[in-house]
Amino acid sequence: MDEDATTGNLCAAETFDPDLIHAIFKLVWRRRAEKGSGGNEVIDVEPAPETSRRNRSTTGILELDGERFPANASALKVSCELLRIFVTEAIQRSAFIAEAEDATVIEPTHLERVLPQLLLDF
Amino acid sequence: MRPKHHHPKRNTACLFVVIAPKSPNCCSSRHCCCLWELRHWAMDLDMDMDMETLADDTDPALAGDSGGEAAEAERYEAAEAEAELLRDRLRLAVISITTAEGKKAGMTVADPVVTCIADLAYKSAEQLAKDAELFAQHAGRKSIKMDDVILTAHRNEHLMGLLRTFSQELKGKERASSERKRKKSSKKDERVIDV
Repeated sequence: MDEDATTGNLCAAETFDPDLIHAIFKLVWRRRAEKGSGGNEVIDVEPAPETSRRNRSTTGILELDGERFPANASALKVSCELLRIFVTEAIQRSAFIAEAEDATVIEPTHLERVLPQLLLDF
Repeated sequence: MRPKHHHPKRNTACLFVVIAPKSPNCCSSRHCCCLWELRHWAMDLDMDMDMETLADDTDPALAGDSGGEAAEAERYEAAEAEAELLRDRLRLAVISITTAEGKKAGMTVADPVVTCIADLAYKSAEQLAKDAELFAQHAGRKSIKMDDVILTAHRNEHLMGLLRTFSQELKGKERASSERKRKKSSKKDERVIDV
């Protein structure tokens, strides 16, 4: 029971806050919705009513629910897990390279080498 | 001398040649920006802060030429301030995770590394939000489900497998808790019937 408690504490301390991730998501969606509506005003002169209608409908879906919860709780937890894995992978890959060089501190040069493959994987 | 690539954020020449140097968005690639920022942090943090404030001052000035665009510039500034707050909170979380991971590997992590990873995590979160929104809209749904988030990780099969097992564990826990609730409510009903 003690071991479970300690591992539980470790897991809780080492992950992202779902509210923080939710706040970042809302910011991104709000920005996209504003960009979509701003773009429509510019497209007035262009003879493409279908595309502008499509834009309005696509921005309208998540814009309406912007104040409610467009992402459910489990989706937020999974995205927290995803970001946590990202950070962990970055550190572990850089540590791997640093160990190969017999260094005790992870330097930016180590991160530079793992960066391309890391960004391609994520 | 004209610099070949203009770093849009720092308003200076970009040091790194990217795959498609003729494209106008070449400097917006994450790899390029992150490498540039890594070197910059390693060189001089203070200069970095000054340049950032300079860039922030010039960007809205460039954008807000006409009267109609001034409101947009204000909105942009407000959104930027909010983004800065979120980025700082994210950086705190990243610091705790990285120090714990570093301890596990038995190494200390340098500051520029942590800052860079935090920035990358923020950009990844933005990409994740965009992708998940697109997937949900594509499926004709109004809210984002777990499967949308798992789909965003499709580039790496191993990662997708990890997320799937995690999501199944979550589902299992939820089912167990809901069953416990049902059992409790059924026990209450039995007691009522007995009485």
